[in-house]
Amino acid sequence: MTTRILFNLIQVLVVMGFAPLVSGVTGRLKEIVQSKRGPSMIQPYRDLRKLFQKDEVVSEQSSWIFRFTPYLVFVTPIFVTLLIPVLTSYPLFFAFMGDMLGGGFVLALGGFFATLAAVDTGNPYGPIGASRTRMVGFLAEPVFMIVFFTVSFVAGSTIPYIVQQKWVTPLANFFEPSHVLLMLAFLMLILAEGGRIPVDNPSGHFELAMIDESKVLEYSGRGAALMKWGGQMKFFVLLCIFLNVLVTPWGLAGEQSFAHVLLAIPLILLKIFIFVLVLVVIESSLSKLRLFRITEFLGAAFITSVVAMITRIFAF
Amino acid sequence: MSLIVILVLPLAAMVISLMPLGRRVAPAATLLAAVAAFVLAIRAALHVAGGNAVVALPNWVALDGFGALVLLLVTLVGTTAALFSCGYMAHHARSEKRLRFYYVHSNLFLFALIAVPVVVEPNIEWIAIELTALFSVLLVAYENTHESLEAAWKYIAMMFMGAAIALLGFLILFWAFKTGGGETYTWDGLRAVAPNMPPVLVKTAFLLILVGFGMKVGFVPVHTWLPDAHSQAPSPICAMLSGVKTTVALYVILRLLPLLRMEHIEAWLLTIGLISVGVASFLLLQVRDYKRLFAYSTVEHMGIIFTAAGIGAAGGHYGAMMQILTHSITKSFCFLAAGATLLAVETREIASVRGLIRTSPAAGAALLFGGLAIAGAPPFAVFLSEFSIFKAGLLQGRYLATALLALFIGIAFFGVLVHINRMVFGRPQGNPHPTKVRLPFSCVLTLILAAIPILVLGVYLPEPLHQLLTQAAACLSR
Amino acid sequence: MNLNSETVALLGNLNALAGGLFLLCTFGMVATRQVQGCLRLFIAQALFLVLSAFLLSGLLHSRHVFAVGIINLISKPFLVPWLLRRTVRSEVYSRREIDQLINIPASLLIALALAIGGFFLASPLLRVADGPYVAVNLPIGLACLLLGGYTASVRREAVPLLLGLLAMENAAFFAGVAIVPELPLIAELAIAFDVLMLSFIVGLLTRTIHEHIGTTEVGALTALKEETKP
Repeated sequence: MTTRILFNLIQVLVVMGFAPLVSGVTGRLKEIVQSKRGPSMIQPYRDLRKLFQKDEVVSEQSSWIFRFTPYLVFVTPIFVTLLIPVLTSYPLFFAFMGDMLGGGFVLALGGFFATLAAVDTGNPYGPIGASRTRMVGFLAEPVFMIVFFTVSFVAGSTIPYIVQQKWVTPLANFFEPSHVLLMLAFLMLILAEGGRIPVDNPSGHFELAMIDESKVLEYSGRGAALMKWGGQMKFFVLLCIFLNVLVTPWGLAGEQSFAHVLLAIPLILLKIFIFVLVLVVIESSLSKLRLFRITEFLGAAFITSVVAMITRIFAF
Repeated sequence: MSLIVILVLPLAAMVISLMPLGRRVAPAATLLAAVAAFVLAIRAALHVAGGNAVVALPNWVALDGFGALVLLLVTLVGTTAALFSCGYMAHHARSEKRLRFYYVHSNLFLFALIAVPVVVEPNIEWIAIELTALFSVLLVAYENTHESLEAAWKYIAMMFMGAAIALLGFLILFWAFKTGGGETYTWDGLRAVAPNMPPVLVKTAFLLILVGFGMKVGFVPVHTWLPDAHSQAPSPICAMLSGVKTTVALYVILRLLPLLRMEHIEAWLLTIGLISVGVASFLLLQVRDYKRLFAYSTVEHMGIIFTAAGIGAAGGHYGAMMQILTHSITKSFCFLAAGATLLAVETREIASVRGLIRTSPAAGAALLFGGLAIAGAPPFAVFLSEFSIFKAGLLQGRYLATALLALFIGIAFFGVLVHINRMVFGRPQGNPHPTKVRLPFSCVLTLILAAIPILVLGVYLPEPLHQLLTQAAACLSR
Repeated sequence: MNLNSETVALLGNLNALAGGLFLLCTFGMVATRQVQGCLRLFIAQALFLVLSAFLLSGLLHSRHVFAVGIINLISKPFLVPWLLRRTVRSEVYSRREIDQLINIPASLLIALALAIGGFFLASPLLRVADGPYVAVNLPIGLACLLLGGYTASVRREAVPLLLGLLAMENAAFFAGVAIVPELPLIAELAIAFDVLMLSFIVGLLTRTIHEHIGTTEVGALTALKEETKP
């Protein structure tokens, strides 16, 4: 039992440790694709260290929500890490604490408080970004639900570990239409929730066009560091769910030994790196959508997920 | 063999029309081809009426009772339209190129129309019906006005939508045929295998083909393209469109009836037919354009034929066949008369035409004759066929349906006659002594020739024709 | 050729995948704004049809279906766009349709309802089916037929309307390759030829409409009515 708790802790440390690296690699690759040099891949670590050492400036008009939110945004992805398969294919100690829907709710809790905090200060750009995030969020909800329901219907359970074992077991099922379409729908979801092009420009500086970034605008010092880190961890967690549960359930540790679990770390990083390559290609070839076209983008994701559900549930 | 010749004749005329040989060669070639096809069709029909089947390519091109009837009508209408076109298009065509364009497409259209009754393989039948739509669309758009282009667009969009739906229906029908263990895929082969075909497949196929080809026939509520397309085309083409093109689509639907083993199929047919008759007769009352008047009358008559098929048994089926015959010859005459009227007064609006009998006695008389005939007045042919349908309806005990049918036909009768009467008689507006317009000789000749069968069939049905109709009616029963 | 059961399962799944992507392309045709986008989705849809035809020809051991695949491969992704480009002026392709008859999110929901309706309509037919691939192709074919009909009804621009009609025909064939693998070759050739002729004629008509009326927004042509003109 102690080994299982230990593995869970290792999982959390991996997520906390490597989330900024993923963000740095993505940024660097994007710049390289555009024939620039780009910042170093460990720049996010340096940014976090710098921010932790700085003073915090907090508006007097803000309430406890503003001060409380960075901690919440930092902690919610860690909770979700305890529930999902990151390194191992067998359930760990806290795995049955919540299922995928519970994990989704916990992530949404962090997002909800971030939105509230953005409205809290009275900065005009905060509520703009907050309302846009809410719009993207509520349009993305049905897609999440249908993806999870379809996957659970097939696997007979909503716990991610069990789903992962049953979802793509014979290799032929990789090409099942529901599988491919769910991958497509969830990819569009990651683009929306992670604030990537075509939904939002993560490296943009123009406040009127920001959707996700404007929530971090008011923070400084430790609060900003926690918000940034929490955002990066949330992205890492979404990628883990996508890659380990939906796409490629291989490369995870099958046995309860330290060596296997430690071997799984570079494998998960490799999988994430390949995904980052795909992401960079997508981001570099598309342009940001106009705001009201985002409904059509998420509508397309919805249709894709419903078609996946239809082909799985009705046809066979 | 003669069937292949009948098929090839319009193609030959088309090829001749493609060549730039002057303004007279194309019309003459078309007319010759049409007359030759008609003569050969009469010969084939007599052969079939005598009890022998005519076969050109076994399992692909052959003729039975129903097919012979439709082939006869197609070639007859094609001949009258070709004869009328000589005078009409000489007047209307702006240049020799446009004239030849008209004749090329008109011949292709006739070819496709002939192909439908002579082909017995259902998949090729679908293609033939598609070709009738494709070859006529540019003719509907011939005048290149705003209205004709709009009519042509709506026409082709709805035609192809119906064709695609019917394609799936035909594929499911073929599937049912193969599941039932059929060998030769022809109409007769289908009837032979009908008891073994899974009923759900046959029902679905029939439903899809009814919806798809119903769009082509002009059943309400998918009839919206019909008044536009059938009024904007040049009049001889309208005669072919209304006279035979909707009929051949209905021919294919009726061919499927003996395959269905559903109770209450007759009730469904009656409902669909009566809705069409009813809506069309009411819509007829408020037209402003006399060609649209005749187009709505086509919708109504298609409904009457379907209702007669729904009345069922030998009497109803015979009535349906007779209605097909009389409607084709009468409706084509009506549109030719409308064409003559258009030549005389140069406007399509009913309100602008008064006292036609004074402006052009030939056109006025023809319009009056056509209006009376299509409305169902005795002693014309349509009256006789409608009467036989009423008789069959009463004999079968379908009192409500027959009463509704009589009511709707009465409303349409009233509507047509009111409009025609106002157009033909009545004081001409403006000039009380208008100059008389002389119609081209071929137009007048066509009107006289086309009027003869309508009068004759109103009083006397020749024996071979009666036998042909009986054989055709037998194709509808199980 | 004899295939072991694992390859059969894999090819069967690939066929189902082609079906799912076929359905997705049809949804895309309902929702896309650009005329070029609609054309590209139509080509993709045709390619998925061809893929399914090739897979089924191997699985059902039918040469006819293989011929269907070849014929469709030549006609739909290549000849139809070429014919359209030759007959319709190229500026039509840069059009964007700003509004359809029903706005796009509502259109997508209606299309979804139609697709599910198509699946329900096909289920009584599936009880009679003997092969496992009919269960994939027939419902998707019927659903896409309904979707294509919907596209042709709500689109106002000429070229997407035509592509909706052609998508209906694609869908009928998608169902056909599974339910009637023995369709006579002459029927397939004639149907393909018919599609090409339709594209040609409708392209000509579109150009004539463009020349005489000045716009290809055919949904806006509503001059022929019965009401009295003012």
